[in-house]
Amino acid sequence: MTAATPGVTPSPISTSLISTLAGSYYTDPAIFAREQEQIFERSWTCVALVADLAATGAFQKVQAGRESVVLVRGRDGALRAFLNVCRHRGAQLCTEETGQLRRNLQCPYHAWTYDLSGKLVAAPNLTSMPDVDRDRYGLLPVHIREWLGYVWICLGDDPPSFEEDVIGEVVTRLGDVGSIERYGVEDLALGRRIRYDVAANWKLIIENFMECYHCATIHPELTEVLPEFAEGYAAQFFVGHGAAFGGDIDGFTVDGSAGADKLPGVSDDQDRRYYAITIKPQVFVNLVPDHVIVHRMTPLAADRTIVECDWLFAPDVVASGRDLDVSVELFHRVNQQDFDACERTQPGMASRAYRDGGVLVPSEHHIGEFHSWLQERLA
Amino acid sequence: MIHVCALADMPRGSARRLPLVPPVSVFHTSDGEFYAIDDTCTHQDASLADGWLEGCEVECPLHAAIFDLRTGEPDGLLARKPVRTHRVLVEADSVYLVLSTPDVMADIGGDELEAAS
Repeated sequence: MTAATPGVTPSPISTSLISTLAGSYYTDPAIFAREQEQIFERSWTCVALVADLAATGAFQKVQAGRESVVLVRGRDGALRAFLNVCRHRGAQLCTEETGQLRRNLQCPYHAWTYDLSGKLVAAPNLTSMPDVDRDRYGLLPVHIREWLGYVWICLGDDPPSFEEDVIGEVVTRLGDVGSIERYGVEDLALGRRIRYDVAANWKLIIENFMECYHCATIHPELTEVLPEFAEGYAAQFFVGHGAAFGGDIDGFTVDGSAGADKLPGVSDDQDRRYYAITIKPQVFVNLVPDHVIVHRMTPLAADRTIVECDWLFAPDVVASGRDLDVSVELFHRVNQQDFDACERTQPGMASRAYRDGGVLVPSEHHIGEFHSWLQERLA
Repeated sequence: MIHVCALADMPRGSARRLPLVPPVSVFHTSDGEFYAIDDTCTHQDASLADGWLEGCEVECPLHAAIFDLRTGEPDGLLARKPVRTHRVLVEADSVYLVLSTPDVMADIGGDELEAAS
């Protein structure tokens, strides 16, 4: 199989089984390059927490597809995104991951200097080049949106509808957008962030998150809290379904003990339940009564993906200094168990045993929709 | 005496570069004072009018050399030579520049100065 002839759309093998993608989809650098170009450089991707960029001059360097992008809070209060490339000779402007700009953005090569709105404000000998248009040689802007307290960017010239592509994913899973709005995610505060460097293709991580066939085998703590997961059907198999806590479980914690108080907007029928949403191509949102967990993926290679996981709590819970370990530990273990499984799977993708792929059982059939989505975009 | 601009066109916190030889910049500080100095940083060719005005100091936009607008003296870290200072007069709702030394050539007319910023 080559990049020029992608495999067939997942097709039924029998009543119970449908086929997966071929192994090369998880290993071939040419397919990965096409995913970067046709998915990650055209879709809305979630790249930063708005609260991390609160102060004027706060900046963060993020990756979208193969492009480096710098996010910066302007003097007018607006958050902007620019391609992280000097317009002069192409040097990377911003080399630190995050920080605070004092005055301007300055290229470390020839000192071309841009203000926080991206305009070229100074350069050596610029005054003797009056024909240089400082707006035309400003930094190149990238489309930007804020939602759920996160920064979303799109590199495409003509971005897809944010309402359809991003908010639409939440509606597809939960049935309506009001269900997520009740958690007030944009008003929550960061309690913990853990960065995972996973030696696996990004699609293995998505596929793993979408199904729960593996839960009883690798997630003992999670299935203790959510007993129905032992049956193998993930919350994402359904629409508007939250997996119920076990009867003797007091909270979404590693030992089932009580967590923080329920978030104020969470309704009674959302209480004591876990909801999960995949916002393709790189975000997972997990909703439980007292906190929200957001995963953001950044694929770096066919066999390497960075996952940043944020645990968000009510601001007063974070400010109180309360020990969040019992809450954080549950999904941190789930993450480690999942990413270990993905890393165990990655080498098999290159095996002749998986040349034509594997199979999806009925509780995994909804992963076939993800494969169709992928192949439509690579076509 | 060179007409710089109408007073209304130079709010506090702003600067105007006059393309004389050498160029001169007029600053209106946040405290309401006017100052004028040679525009070119003595460390590397950059316009101080594009820099950061704070109190009665201006910081070069390129390498953050700081000049005192009252004396033209640099902070000495990068730029070691001072810039010359000039006088500014505000009369009849207009801002005027009086060059400190006659060897500065006011080689362009008032109309062109109006267009410069």
